[in-house]
Amino acid sequence: MFKQRLTTLAKPFTWWVIFLVVLIISGLGAAALIFIRGLVVTNLTDLVPWGLWISIDLSSIALGAGAFLLSAAVYLLKIKRLQPVARTAVFIGLIGYSMAVMTLLLDIGRPDRFWHAVAFWNVHSPLWEVTMCVTFYLTVLVLEVLPMFGGSDWMQERWPNLAEKLQSIHHFAPIFAVIGLGLSLLHQSSLGATYGVLKARPIWYRPGLPVLFIVSAMAAGPAMTVLASHIAGRLTPRAIIKPELLDQVSKFVGWVLVAYLYLRFWDVLAMSYTYEPARTEGLNMLTQGPLALNFWMGEIFLGILLPMIILLSDRLRSQQRLHLLALFLIVGGLVAYRWDTNMVGQLVVFNYLPQGLTPQYTRYIPSLVEIAAGAGVIAYGLLAFTLGVRYLKVVNHEDVAEEDVPVPQVVMAGD
Amino acid sequence: MTATTLKRRDFLKIGAAGLATTAVAAGMTRKQHGAADTAETSPHRWAMVIDQSKCTGCEYCTMACRANNDVSPDISWTRVIQLESEGTKDVFLPIPCMQCGDAPCVHICPVSANYQRPDGIVMMDYDRCIGCRYCEMACPYGARSFNWETFEGENPAVPTWGQPEVERRPRGVVEKCSFCYQRIDRGLAQGLTPGVDPAATPACVMACPTGARMFGDLNDPNSIVSQALAENPSYRLREDLGTDPRVYYLPVRDTNKEGVTCSNNA
Repeated sequence: MFKQRLTTLAKPFTWWVIFLVVLIISGLGAAALIFIRGLVVTNLTDLVPWGLWISIDLSSIALGAGAFLLSAAVYLLKIKRLQPVARTAVFIGLIGYSMAVMTLLLDIGRPDRFWHAVAFWNVHSPLWEVTMCVTFYLTVLVLEVLPMFGGSDWMQERWPNLAEKLQSIHHFAPIFAVIGLGLSLLHQSSLGATYGVLKARPIWYRPGLPVLFIVSAMAAGPAMTVLASHIAGRLTPRAIIKPELLDQVSKFVGWVLVAYLYLRFWDVLAMSYTYEPARTEGLNMLTQGPLALNFWMGEIFLGILLPMIILLSDRLRSQQRLHLLALFLIVGGLVAYRWDTNMVGQLVVFNYLPQGLTPQYTRYIPSLVEIAAGAGVIAYGLLAFTLGVRYLKVVNHEDVAEEDVPVPQVVMAGD
Repeated sequence: MTATTLKRRDFLKIGAAGLATTAVAAGMTRKQHGAADTAETSPHRWAMVIDQSKCTGCEYCTMACRANNDVSPDISWTRVIQLESEGTKDVFLPIPCMQCGDAPCVHICPVSANYQRPDGIVMMDYDRCIGCRYCEMACPYGARSFNWETFEGENPAVPTWGQPEVERRPRGVVEKCSFCYQRIDRGLAQGLTPGVDPAATPACVMACPTGARMFGDLNDPNSIVSQALAENPSYRLREDLGTDPRVYYLPVRDTNKEGVTCSNNA
């Protein structure tokens, strides 16, 4: 008995889970402090009201974009062979969106009123639209993930009837794909519009933001799915992957990066002509100021250019380490883009003085409490995926046929 | 201004027509706040005129506002900023909420906690605000403050500068100047004229020792503000943004001839 326990302890899996649980507990502690003492414990101010948590929120929603893209590919474009990849993407999507909801609950001053956006509508607000879409889409994702629970061994053993019912929800997958596509196209871009409609912040006030937000999400979302699948495939025999399937997605990601780079190039270049107060300062902050390393390295070179070359070259992509590196860099580049975008409009202080065109700057560095709470949310995401791979077989590319079997039976039963 | 607003509204509605629920929502939003208003339309259009040649930067306005609206010492609903000196005289810029005719905060609030009364005052529904702070990003004038912590205990501005007339805001909501709507509404009910009768006029206007602040109805050509604007050159902050602010400034001029400046002796 003791020996058995020792061997369990020695497993890297155990240590990984312990590590994540410790992070989650410290995150819960930070969250308790935030709810008891209020947002005064953060480094957020009236000049920088949106910080680290909003960046995590934006990033996790974008990284969950694989769900709607791969579902659309399988059920609308009828690329059936990608079905097991879509399954992984949907699971990651649910994790990403639930992470977003957690950070938002931390961030808003009155988490007890989180439901107000659903009750008191303002159809003119991009943030209202985002909230509604995320609420609906989270529901869709839950419905898409329930069949995975129904398909798990322990559920089928304990509650076979319930398991069968849950699995039958999968019958509606094409409908979910349509709804998910619509909702995602709306809110992934509206998140950019949330910034893009604010005339008070000239660096944000441009029509390009919604477009850049959705295109970057279309690259990074599937990249996250493929990356997570590969890592799971390398680390555990419970994850069974077909690299050639994932390769097709990676190639798609490479082409999306081309589009993203093209749009980003014109977006930035167009802003660089003639001086405009606050916009030019913001652009300078990105290209040569404190955010320059993030921008040139994180966003452009490492986040787009390098992975684009790797993924589009069959020779480079076939080297698995390079392939994984490229996917990892895309995910990092997406996070850098969301962080920079959120920061740049706030660090240059808006100018309302009659004669004052002199730019003013402010600073923001997240507090320890913010970092601990944010790390807790990320650890939750990693733990959920880890457990999903282990117990729900969310990465299993040989499971296609089984999943399709119950579909005709349910139809018959319904008739 | 009105034309563009209408166009965009129409565009949004057409775009959303696919979702039948959206139309319902638009009606719902209007109804909810229509009920809270005194009337669907108002004969008044309140405005404030601030004469910078008279402002000495004493911040009596800030203090009177803190007392009357029970504002925390950490927050100023009306800030006074010192601009560069013009000659030997210091120039100040008091900044309350601009009560924009086309307010960015009203457009973007995800829960309709920001709304505009028919008389033009931009209101905050503190029971509805979720504290997302999106309005702080959207306001071009930095007029909004978030309650980062609970304002507990006595208000140091009370009773020296006045008595609280409105409920203190809870932690976690955004707050801002309201043109002292409570004084206006109560005054009108008593048959008083805001801007003329002290009890019906915003606290900051009454507290100003030099009479730099004037308040009144733009729809009334005889009001103090209408006359001040007719007789003096004036400007508003960031008019280029199209927000249509209801706070006007009379700039400091090199020669301030007697009789040209408007007085607030009413």
